[in-house]
Amino acid sequence: MAVKQSTPAGRVFDAVNILVLVALAVVMILPFIYVMAGSFARESELTERAFFLWPREFVTHSYDYIFATNTFLRSLVITVLVTAVGMGIQVLLTFTMAYPLSRRYLPGRSLFLGLVVFTLVFTGGLIPTYLIVRELGLLDSYWSLILPLAINPFFLIIVKNFFQELPDELQEAAQIDGCSELGVFWRIVLPLSKPILATMGLFYAVAIWNDFQSPLLYIDDASKWTLQMFVRQVTVSSDMANTVGQLDPNYEPPEQGLKFTVIVIATLPILLLYPFLQKHFVKGILIGSVKG
Amino acid sequence: MGKVRLRTRMVRYRWLFVLLLPGLAYFAVFRYAPMYGLTIAFQDYLPFLGFSGSPWVGLKHFEDLFSSPDFPRVLSNTLILALLNAVFVFPAPIVVALLLNELRLSVLKRAVQSAIYIPYFLSWTIVAALTYLLFALDVGPITQLMNDLFHARFDFLADPDWFRPLVILQTLWKSVGWWTIIYLAALAGVDPNLYEAARIDGANRWKQMWHVTLPGIRSTIIVVAILSAGNLLDTSFEQIYLLTNSLNRSVAEVFDTYVYFLGITQGSYSYSTAVGLFKAVVGVVLIYGVNWLARRFGHSGLS
Amino acid sequence: MKPFKKLTAAAGALVLAVTMAACSKEEEKADPADLGTLTLMIPLLSGDAAAPAVDGEMHKAVEALTGKKLQITWVPNSNYGDRMNVTLASDNLPEVMVVQGKLPAFVQSAEAGAFWNLTGKLDAYPNLKAENKQIELNSSINGQVYGIYRRRDPMRAAVIVRKDWLTKLGLKLPETVDDLYNVAKAFTENDPDGNGKKDTYGLVIPKWPGVYATASPYDVIETWFGAPNGWGDRNGKLVPGFDTPEFLEANRFVKKMVTEGLINPDFATLDSAKWDTPFFTGKGGMIVDVSSRAGVQLRLFKEKDATGYGNFVDLTGNLTGPDGKKRSYPTVGYNGFLAISKQSVPTEAELKDVLTVLNKLSSKEGQILLNNGFEGKNFKVTEGYALGQNATDPAIKTITNDVMSFAQLGTASNGYLAYVSLPAGQPEREQYEKRVKFHKADEASAVHNPAQAIVSKTQVAKGAQLDQIIADARVKFLAGQIDEAGLKAEIQRWYSQGGQDIVNEMNEQYAKFKK
Repeated sequence: MAVKQSTPAGRVFDAVNILVLVALAVVMILPFIYVMAGSFARESELTERAFFLWPREFVTHSYDYIFATNTFLRSLVITVLVTAVGMGIQVLLTFTMAYPLSRRYLPGRSLFLGLVVFTLVFTGGLIPTYLIVRELGLLDSYWSLILPLAINPFFLIIVKNFFQELPDELQEAAQIDGCSELGVFWRIVLPLSKPILATMGLFYAVAIWNDFQSPLLYIDDASKWTLQMFVRQVTVSSDMANTVGQLDPNYEPPEQGLKFTVIVIATLPILLLYPFLQKHFVKGILIGSVKG
Repeated sequence: MGKVRLRTRMVRYRWLFVLLLPGLAYFAVFRYAPMYGLTIAFQDYLPFLGFSGSPWVGLKHFEDLFSSPDFPRVLSNTLILALLNAVFVFPAPIVVALLLNELRLSVLKRAVQSAIYIPYFLSWTIVAALTYLLFALDVGPITQLMNDLFHARFDFLADPDWFRPLVILQTLWKSVGWWTIIYLAALAGVDPNLYEAARIDGANRWKQMWHVTLPGIRSTIIVVAILSAGNLLDTSFEQIYLLTNSLNRSVAEVFDTYVYFLGITQGSYSYSTAVGLFKAVVGVVLIYGVNWLARRFGHSGLS
Repeated sequence: MKPFKKLTAAAGALVLAVTMAACSKEEEKADPADLGTLTLMIPLLSGDAAAPAVDGEMHKAVEALTGKKLQITWVPNSNYGDRMNVTLASDNLPEVMVVQGKLPAFVQSAEAGAFWNLTGKLDAYPNLKAENKQIELNSSINGQVYGIYRRRDPMRAAVIVRKDWLTKLGLKLPETVDDLYNVAKAFTENDPDGNGKKDTYGLVIPKWPGVYATASPYDVIETWFGAPNGWGDRNGKLVPGFDTPEFLEANRFVKKMVTEGLINPDFATLDSAKWDTPFFTGKGGMIVDVSSRAGVQLRLFKEKDATGYGNFVDLTGNLTGPDGKKRSYPTVGYNGFLAISKQSVPTEAELKDVLTVLNKLSSKEGQILLNNGFEGKNFKVTEGYALGQNATDPAIKTITNDVMSFAQLGTASNGYLAYVSLPAGQPEREQYEKRVKFHKADEASAVHNPAQAIVSKTQVAKGAQLDQIIADARVKFLAGQIDEAGLKAEIQRWYSQGGQDIVNEMNEQYAKFKK
C-alpha cells in the first residue's frame, strides 16, 4: 500500500476517490436491489412501477411457491456440490499444469505453450464436444459439467505468468537446500500463490455456477438440473423464442415476481463467495522471503 | 550430442512431466479431439447426416461470406466495437483497481469491491431491461436529464449514433468490477518494501504509483491484453441482440448476431462454423501480433 | 529431436483414437425399440420452471394411460433448438420428439430420412385423423406429413381497448379501421382518464422481435386493408404480401397515426415484454394482439381492484377495411408437431405401437388428462368449463404445473376434446365467451396463406434474413427514416438479394399444388 502522505492535494484526491468509488458501487448494486425487491412484489406492482427499491406491498408468495416443493433446494445443493468439486479439480489441474510451463528449462515448452494458445481461439464446436462426452459415457452425469471445462487456457496462462514472476532466487535457494522440483512447487511456489489461488478459485467457481450450456446439452434427467437451467427457463426473453418461431401461442410467461425470485436464489450464493475470499487478497506475501 | 542432452533433461525433469500429464490429457481429449468439428466449415453439414454423411463444399461458405453484400458492414461494425472495447473497456478495470488500491479504509475497500462485481452476475436480459428503463424516449431519467441539459429530444434507443456508446456503457457496467479482481490480485503481489524504498527516495504518491505500482502489475496487464486480443472480434450475442431494433440494425449487426440468424434460423451450421473459423484465424494473428509487440518492448509476452 | 517426435506422435495417436471412436458411432446400429418404454423429448413450459417429477402424479397417470414406461427428457423451451440439433447429430434420438415448427434443421433431416413420413398413415387411427385437412396440409412439408400437428386456436387476433376510456368519452368499440383511427385520436386528444393532462395516446405497439408475417400488429392491420397473409395468389401466381398496393396503403394509414401522435412514440424500441405496462398504467388505450392478452390485463386489474376490475378491459375481433370488407388474420392453426424417429423406431410394427400410444393420448380421456389434470382433484367441471380448485395446496400446484408441461405432448389434431380452463370470476367468464364468439365469426373471413405448406430451398437458406429487410423497412418508413420511395427500394432489395429465387421456387411448387 502506498504510504500515507497528508498533503492537501492528497486529501482532496482521497475524498474524490471515495466519492467516485462509492458512486460506482451504488450504481452497480442498485439494480440487484431492485431484483431482490421485485421478488417480494406483486405482479401488478411490477408491471406498473418501472424501478423501485422496496415494494409497496411486501409479499412472499413467489418464495412460498418455489419452496413448496424441494425441487429448488435439491438443485441448489446439486449446484453447490458440482461447483465446489468442479472448482477444486479445475484449480488443481490448472495449477499443476501451469507450474511446469512456467519453468523456462522445460523441454518442449514452446510446443506445449503453442498448443495451449491455439485452443484459446480454435474450438471444435458444440456437436463434436458433445459426441466426445457421449463417447466417454459421461452423458447425464455430473462429471459432464466439470471435465469438459476442466482447464481454461486463459486462466492457465495467467497462472503460468504469475509463477514466472516469482523471483528466481527463491527457487535457487530452495534447490541449494536440496529441494526437488516437486518440493519447490509444493513448499515454495504454492504458499506464495494465495492471491492467485483465490482469484482462480473464484473465477472457476463462477464459471461453473453460471454455465447453462453444459447442463442443457448433457443432462437428460431433470432431477439433476442445476440452478442455471431454472434461470434460463424463466428469464430468457420470450423475444428470442419468438424470432425463431418457437413460441407456442399457448405459452404463458411465468409471473415476473417468480422470475426475480429465481434470479435471487440462483445468484445470491455465488455472490457471497467473493467477500469470503477477500481476505486472501492481502498484500505483502513476499515480505521476508528473499532476505539473506 | 543434442539427443543425449535432451533425454537427460527429460529424465532430470521427469517430475515436471508428471505434473504436466493430467493437463495434457485434458487438452488432448476435450480440446483437440473435437477439433475435427472445424471441418464442417467446408461441408454442408446436417446434424442428422453427421460428419461423414454431409456433402463437401470446399470454400463455398467462405466465398459466400466474403462476397455477401452484408459482409463489409458486419465486419466494420464488429471492428469498431472491438476498437471501442480495447480503448474504453480494457483499461477501465485497471483504473478502478488502482483507485481501490488508494483507499485507506479496508472495510470500505472490501465493501466497494463486493458491490462492483455484482453486475457480472446479472443476465443481459436484466441489463437490457435496465437500459430501456434509463434511456427510454422522453420518460427515462437519463433521457430527461440529457434533454434538459441540451434542449433536445434524444432517442438513445433508436438512434444509430447512440448504439455504440450504449453498448460500451453496458459492457463497462457489467464487466469492470469483475476484471478488477485480477488486477487487485496482481497488486497484492507487489512487494511493499518497494514502496518503502520509493518513499525514502522522496517519491510522492503519484511517483509511487508510476514507478512501483504500475510496473508491478505491468506483466498481468500485458498478459491479459494479449489473451484478450484473441477474442477481439467476439461480442456477447445476447447483449447486442437485445439492444438491436429495426432503426439501429445497420450499426448493430456484428458477426455473432449475423451468424445467429443464419446458423439457427436457417439451419446452416456450416456457415456459422465458417464465420467462427474466420474469427479464430483473425484472433490468432492478433495474439501473435500483440505478443510480438510486447516482446519488442522487452516483455516476455506469453512465453 | 526424437523425444519430441515421440510426444507429437503420441498426441497424434491419442487424437486419432478418439476421433475414430467418435466417428464409429455413426456406424452403430440402433437398438431395437424396447416396446415397454417410450422415449420422448419435450420442451418445458411449466409455470414454475420445474420439470414434472418421474414419481409425480401426472407422470404416473400418463404412464398408466399409455401402458408404457415413459422416459422423458424435458428441455428448457428457450434452448430447445440447440438441444434438438445436438440430438440430431448424436444418433440418439428419442422415439417421439416435439418439433416446434418447420425449422430448417427439421425439414432437412426429415427429407433425409430422420423421421417417419406419416402421409396417409394417420387416417387409420381415429384420434389421429386430422379434423382439419387444410391445417394438416399447412403443417406438411410440400405435402408430405412428417409429424402429427399440435392443434392451436385458428383465430386469435383481437383489438383490446380500455373500457373505462370508451365509457368516459361515450365511444363504442371500433368496427372498422376508420373507427380505429377515430378512437385512437379521441384517446390521444380528449383526456380519457380525466386528469386534465394530455398524457395519453391511442394504440400501443412494441418493438416486434419477429420478421415479416409473424402475427405482429402490423401484419394484422395490413390484412385488414386487404394485403395477403405472407403470400397471396394474384392471377394464379404467388406474390409476396408486401409487394401489393394494399400493403402500402395499410402502412400509410399507420404512418398517419404515428405522425399525429396516436401511437406510442417508442414503437420501434418498446420492449415487448413490457407491452402490458402502458395499457395498465393508463398511457395507451388500445392493443392489437392475441385475445389472451386481454386475460392478462384482467388479471392485473383484478390485483388492483378486486370488485370493479371488469370495467377496464374490453375487446373485439378483426376490423373491416376501408372498402367495407372484413378480412381476418388467422393463425396457422398449429404449433409444431410430434415427430417419430426412424432410427429409434425402425420397423412398421414398432411404428404402429407408437402411433397406438399417441392415439390413446389424443382420446377424450387422454386430452383431459394432458390439458386439465384430474377431475375432482385440481379442477371440477362447471357448465362445461374446467374450474381450478384447491389451488393453494402445494400438491395441487405441482399437478397444475405438470399439466402445463404435459400439455405440450398433446396434439388434438382430431379436435380439442378437453375442457377449457376458466378462472373463477364473472368478468373473466364474460370476456372469454365474448372472445369465442367473435373469433368464431372471424373464421369465416380468414385470409389464409396459400403457400403455408410450401418449403423452398432458398427460403430455408436465406428467408429469415431477407424477411428482416422488410420488417426493418416498414419500421423505418413509419419512423420517417425513409420515405415511400425508400420503402419500395427496400422491397426491390428483397428481390435482388435472393427474393426473386424464392418467388420462382415457390411458384414452381405452387403450380404442382394447384392441380
